[in-house]
Amino acid sequence: MITPTGTPRDATVLEARGVTKRFAGITALDNVDFTLHPGESLALMGENGAGKSTLIKVLTGVYQPDAGELHLGGTTTTFARPLDAQRSGISTIYQEVNLIPLLSVAQNIFLGREPRDRWGLIDFKQLNENARTLLDTYDIHVNVRRPLHRLALGMQQMVALARAVSIDARVVIMDEPTSSLEAREVETLFRVIGLLRAQGIAIVYVSHRMDEIYRVCDSVTVLRDGKSVHSGLLADLPRVELVSIMLGRSVEKTKRESLTAFGSARTSSQAPTLIATDLTRKHQISGISLEIRPGEVVGLGGLLGSGRSETLKALAGVMKVDNGHVRVGGRLVKNGSVSAAIRAGIVMLPEDRKAEGIIPNLSIRDNIVLAALPRLSVGGFTSRARQDAIVDVFMKRLRIKATSSSQLVSELSGGNQQKVMIARWLAMNPRVLLLDEPTRGIDVGAKAEVQALINELADEGLAIVMVSSEVEEVVEGSARVIVLRDGSVETELIGDEVTEHHLLSALVGEPITVTKELP
Amino acid sequence: MTATPLRKALFSTVACAAVLTLALTGCTNTGESKAATSGGADQVVKSSDGPTCALADYKGDKFELADAVVGFSQSEKEDNPFRIAETQSIKDEAAKLGVKKLIVTNAQSTLSKQISDIQDMISQGAQALIVAPLNSDGLEPALSVAREKNIPVITIDRLLNAEGCSDYVTFLGSDFVEQGKRAADQLIAGTGGEGSIAILLGSSGNGVTTDRLKGFVDQMAAEAPDMEIVAQQTADFSRDKGQSVTEQLLQANPEITVIYAHNDEMGLGAQAAIIAAGKTPGKDIQIYSIDGTRNAVEQVAAGAYNGVVESNPRFGPLAFATLKSFLSGEAVSQSIVIEDGEYDPSNAAEKVDLAY
Amino acid sequence: MAYLQQYGVYIAIVLLLMYNAAFTSNFISVDNFRTQFIQMVPVLIVALGMALVIGTQGIDLSGGAVMALAAAVIPLYIGYGLIPAAAMAIFAGCLIGVANGAMIAFIGVQPIVATLALMVAGRGIALVVANEQLKSVTNPTILSLGRNSIVGVPYSVLVAVILVAVVALLVNRTTFGKQLVAVGGSRRAAELAGLPVKRILMTTYILAAALAAVAGIVATARLGASVPSTLGNLIELSAITAVVIGGTPLTGGKVKVVGTVAGALLLQLIAATLIKNNVPDAYSQITQAVIILIAVYIQRGKLAVR
Repeated sequence: MITPTGTPRDATVLEARGVTKRFAGITALDNVDFTLHPGESLALMGENGAGKSTLIKVLTGVYQPDAGELHLGGTTTTFARPLDAQRSGISTIYQEVNLIPLLSVAQNIFLGREPRDRWGLIDFKQLNENARTLLDTYDIHVNVRRPLHRLALGMQQMVALARAVSIDARVVIMDEPTSSLEAREVETLFRVIGLLRAQGIAIVYVSHRMDEIYRVCDSVTVLRDGKSVHSGLLADLPRVELVSIMLGRSVEKTKRESLTAFGSARTSSQAPTLIATDLTRKHQISGISLEIRPGEVVGLGGLLGSGRSETLKALAGVMKVDNGHVRVGGRLVKNGSVSAAIRAGIVMLPEDRKAEGIIPNLSIRDNIVLAALPRLSVGGFTSRARQDAIVDVFMKRLRIKATSSSQLVSELSGGNQQKVMIARWLAMNPRVLLLDEPTRGIDVGAKAEVQALINELADEGLAIVMVSSEVEEVVEGSARVIVLRDGSVETELIGDEVTEHHLLSALVGEPITVTKELP
Repeated sequence: MTATPLRKALFSTVACAAVLTLALTGCTNTGESKAATSGGADQVVKSSDGPTCALADYKGDKFELADAVVGFSQSEKEDNPFRIAETQSIKDEAAKLGVKKLIVTNAQSTLSKQISDIQDMISQGAQALIVAPLNSDGLEPALSVAREKNIPVITIDRLLNAEGCSDYVTFLGSDFVEQGKRAADQLIAGTGGEGSIAILLGSSGNGVTTDRLKGFVDQMAAEAPDMEIVAQQTADFSRDKGQSVTEQLLQANPEITVIYAHNDEMGLGAQAAIIAAGKTPGKDIQIYSIDGTRNAVEQVAAGAYNGVVESNPRFGPLAFATLKSFLSGEAVSQSIVIEDGEYDPSNAAEKVDLAY
Repeated sequence: MAYLQQYGVYIAIVLLLMYNAAFTSNFISVDNFRTQFIQMVPVLIVALGMALVIGTQGIDLSGGAVMALAAAVIPLYIGYGLIPAAAMAIFAGCLIGVANGAMIAFIGVQPIVATLALMVAGRGIALVVANEQLKSVTNPTILSLGRNSIVGVPYSVLVAVILVAVVALLVNRTTFGKQLVAVGGSRRAAELAGLPVKRILMTTYILAAALAAVAGIVATARLGASVPSTLGNLIELSAITAVVIGGTPLTGGKVKVVGTVAGALLLQLIAATLIKNNVPDAYSQITQAVIILIAVYIQRGKLAVR
C-alpha cells in the first residue's frame, strides 16, 4: 500500500490536462488543468456556475471532455461511462446517499460483491463479519445488520464512504459532504478522511465552508467561469485571497470603476418601505433584520451558503420563517405566503429563471399578465384588450425584443426573459423588488440594459434588494450593502464603505492584510 | 314542481347525500330496494350418473350438520345477480338447517385470495367446505390442506380440473354447453328457423363463453343450418357494451332479426339498442339469452324479449342435501348436473317470481 | 413529422371514414353517424375533464368509478325528477374529485397514486350505495335524455357539444384556464408568481369528477339502467388516449379541446370499424394498442422537437 510519505510528490494519481467541455455554445470548462497526488486532500473551489460540477462529472465519466485528456496513475485514460471510472478506483460521495435504504449496512457495503457459501447463496455470517471488520478499521461503530435508512444521515454517509473505499478506491470525491451533518458527525467524517489519506487515498473536497476547507485540505484548485485560475497549497493562501480569486476581484481594487451600467448608486432618507425583524429559520438564517427605503438599491452580500438567497425567499413569502416578521408600509405581512407578500407589494425575481420564473410553454403575453390576470379579467373572463394595454406598454418600455407578444417566452434570449419577468412584476405595481442574481446567464449587452432598468425603477421610488455573486455588480449598483455570513448579518456597508475591498473583507469575516496583486 | 317542495326535496336530498356518503349506506328514497332473496325455484337434479363417492372412500368421520362448522368460499365479487343469489341461497339453507356456524368468504375474483380464504376457514375449524371455484385450476394448495384433514369439499357452479372423490367429493353445477344448446332450441322454435343471427359473446377466454357458444353453434348447425350467424362480437357480459355493440351490428347488418346473448345483461343492452334503433324488441328483432335474472324474465313476460334459459344459482338446498347424505354414509355421485329451467312467453308471467 | 403531429388525428379520421365508406356496409348514413356520436359521448365527456387534468401535468384514473357512482346515485333520487337526481349524482361525483384534489394538492400524493386509490375505492362506494343492485331506470325524462333528439340532434350529443364549448371557453378565455396551463407548465414558477396553485389543482380535479359524473348520467340515461358494477370500466384509459391523440402532451401546460374531440371520435371510429367488420376481440385489442403506441410515439417526437 502506498503511503503519503513513501510517495514522491510528483507521482500523480489523477490528472486532467487542458480539459474543455461545451454545452450548446456555452463553455463550461475551458482548458482546465487539475492534478491530484496520492494521499492528498484537495479543495475544489468556485462560485456557482464556475464549472465544479462539470469537472467532477468529467472526472467520474459522466461527461466526455470535448478536448484535453485524463491521466490515471500516469497513463492516459478515458472513461466512457461512470462504471469505468468506478472500476478505476474513483468514487463519489454525494450529499444525498445513493444506497438502498431497506438493505442492511453490510449488504449495502458489499452490494454486488457479497461473499457466497458453497451453494452459491449469500453467506450472511461472512458478510456481516467483513462489514464489521471494515468499519472497525475506520473506528465506525454501528450494527451492520440494521437497515441503512434507520441510521442517522451522517452514519449513512460513513457507510457510503466505507463502501467506496472497500472497492479499492484511489480517489474519493466528496460533494458538499457536511451540508446535512451534525457537528459530531462532521468530526467523525474528518477522522475518516484522515485515515483514508494515511492509506494513500486522495480526496477531492468540494465545499463552501471555509473553516472546513482549511481544516481538512492541504491544497486547492479554484475554478472561475470554467477556467482553473489558481492551484496551490492552502497554507500559502489567506482566506481573503482565496475569496478574491473565487470572485475574480483583486483585493487591491478599492476604487469604484464603472464596469457596470449602474449609475450613481443612491440612498434615501425617506421612511422605510420594508422592515424585516429578526428573520430566523433553522439551519438557514438567524436573526436577520433589515430596512429598505423607497428609491434605494440595497445589495445583499455574502458567499454562497451565507443565507443571501434564503433571506430574499423569507421576504418574498417563499420560505416560511420560524421567527421574526416582515412589515411593508407598517403593515405586517403574513409569514410564508407568496400571495400575501405580493398583495403587500413585495415581488421577487427568482435566481433560477428557467425553472422558477418563466412558464416556458406560454406566450410572452401570458407570462407578463400571469400574476395580474385576476385584475385584468372581467367576471373571471380574460380581456384581451386589457391584457394588450399592459403588455404593449411594458414590451415597449422594457424594450423586449420579440416577433410579437404571442411568441413563446422560451424562444427568447435570457435577457429578454428576465425583462418579461420584470414586466410581470411591474404590472402588479410593486413597492419592493427583490432581485436574485438578476443578470446571471445574460449576455453583456442585455446585462447593461437590465442594470440600467434597475436604476430607473429605483428612481421611480421602488425599494430594491439585490443579490449578486458578482462583486462589482453589488458594489456599483448598491448604495448600501448588507453582508451576510453563516446565515446572519455580518456587517453593513454604507456610502463610502461600499467598496470591493470592504466587501471582500466582510465576506470572509476578517480584515484584509494581504495586498498582493493577483493574476 | 313549485318552488317550496323543490327546495324541500333538494334539502332532503342533500341531507340524504350527507348520510349516504358518511355511512356509505343507501338512503333509498324511491328506488325500490330489492334485497336478494332465495325464494325462487330450488335446483332439480338432472343427472347424477357416473362414479359415486362415499364417506368410506373419501375417509373422514360422520357428523351432524347441526353441530358442524361449514365454510363457503364464493369466487367472484357479488356485483351481479347470479353471485348474490348463490351466496344468499347458501346462507338461507344453512340457517334453515340450523348449521352451527357458517363461515362465508369472498375471493373478490382473486385466485390467491380464494386459496387463503379456504385455508383460513380450515384453520377456523371448518369441518366441511362448499367452494365456488374461481378457476378450473390453481386451487390445489387449498384443496390439499382440506384433503390432509379429511374435510369434505363440495364444489359448485364451476368444474375443477381435479379428481372427484379424491381432491373433492362432488361437483354440482349446470351444463353450460347444454344451456347454449337449449338457447338454440328456443331460438329455432321462436323464429320458425328463419332469420339472421348476431351473437353477443361473454368475456374472451372465459370457459362459460366457450361452452355457451359451442352448444349453440353445434345445435344450430344440426337443427337449422339455413339460419346464418352474421356477426359474433364480445360485449364482456356487460349491459352497456351489449348496447353499443348491438347498435353497431344492427347498423352494419340491417338483416339481423335475432340476437343471442351469453347472459341476460348483454341481452338487455341489446334490447335498449333495438329500441334506440326505432324497432320493437321481441317482434322486429328477437332476443334470447341465458341466466334467468328477474329483469330479463320480466321483459319476456312483457313480450319485449323472447326467451331466457336459466342458469340456476340457488345451490344451497342441493349442496347441503348432498353434504348431509354424504356425511350420513351414503354414496353420492361425483358429478351432479342440475336441471335448469327456461322462460318463454308462454310461462314467463307465471314463473317470473322464480327468477333471481 | 411536424405536419403529422399537428394533423395526424384528422388524417386518421379521414382515412378511416374512407375505408368504411368503401368496405363497411351501410356506413354512410345519418343514422350511423348519429350512433357514432351518441356512443362517443361518455368517453368524450370524461376526456374533457382528463384534458384539464393532464394540462396541469396530472392524470385522473378515477373517471370510470365516478361514472359508476353517479349511476348508483340516480335511482335513489330519480323520484324527485331528473334535475335533482342529476344534481345529486354530480354532487356525489364531486366528492370523489374533492378527495383526489385534496390528496394531490394539499398532501402532495402523486396524481396517479391518488386517483388510482379512488378508482378502486370509488367503484366500491358505488356498489355500496347501489346495494350491489342493478336497477332499471324508468323515469321518462331521463330516458328521453338518452333516447330522444331535438331537430335530429340527440340530447346526449347536445349535452356533449355544450360541455365541449364550455371547456373550450374555460381553457381559452378565463383566468382559471390560463392559470391551469401555467401550473401545468411550471408548478414552481406558478407558485412564485403568487398563483393559488393548490386551489387551481383542487378545482381541476373537481371539474374532472363533475364531468365524469355527467358522463355517468348520460350513459345511464342511454342504457335505461343503473349498472354501477360495470359502467365506465376502464373508460379513463380511452379518455387518456383520446386526449393524447388529440395533441395534449402528457407533460402538461397545454390543453387541446378540439383535438380531444377528434381523439375521442377517432377511438369511436376505430371501435366501430372493428365491430362492424366482425373482427374478433383479441385482434381488436391488439389494433387499439398499436394505435395508442403510434399516438404516443408521435407525441414523443413532439417533445423532442421542442
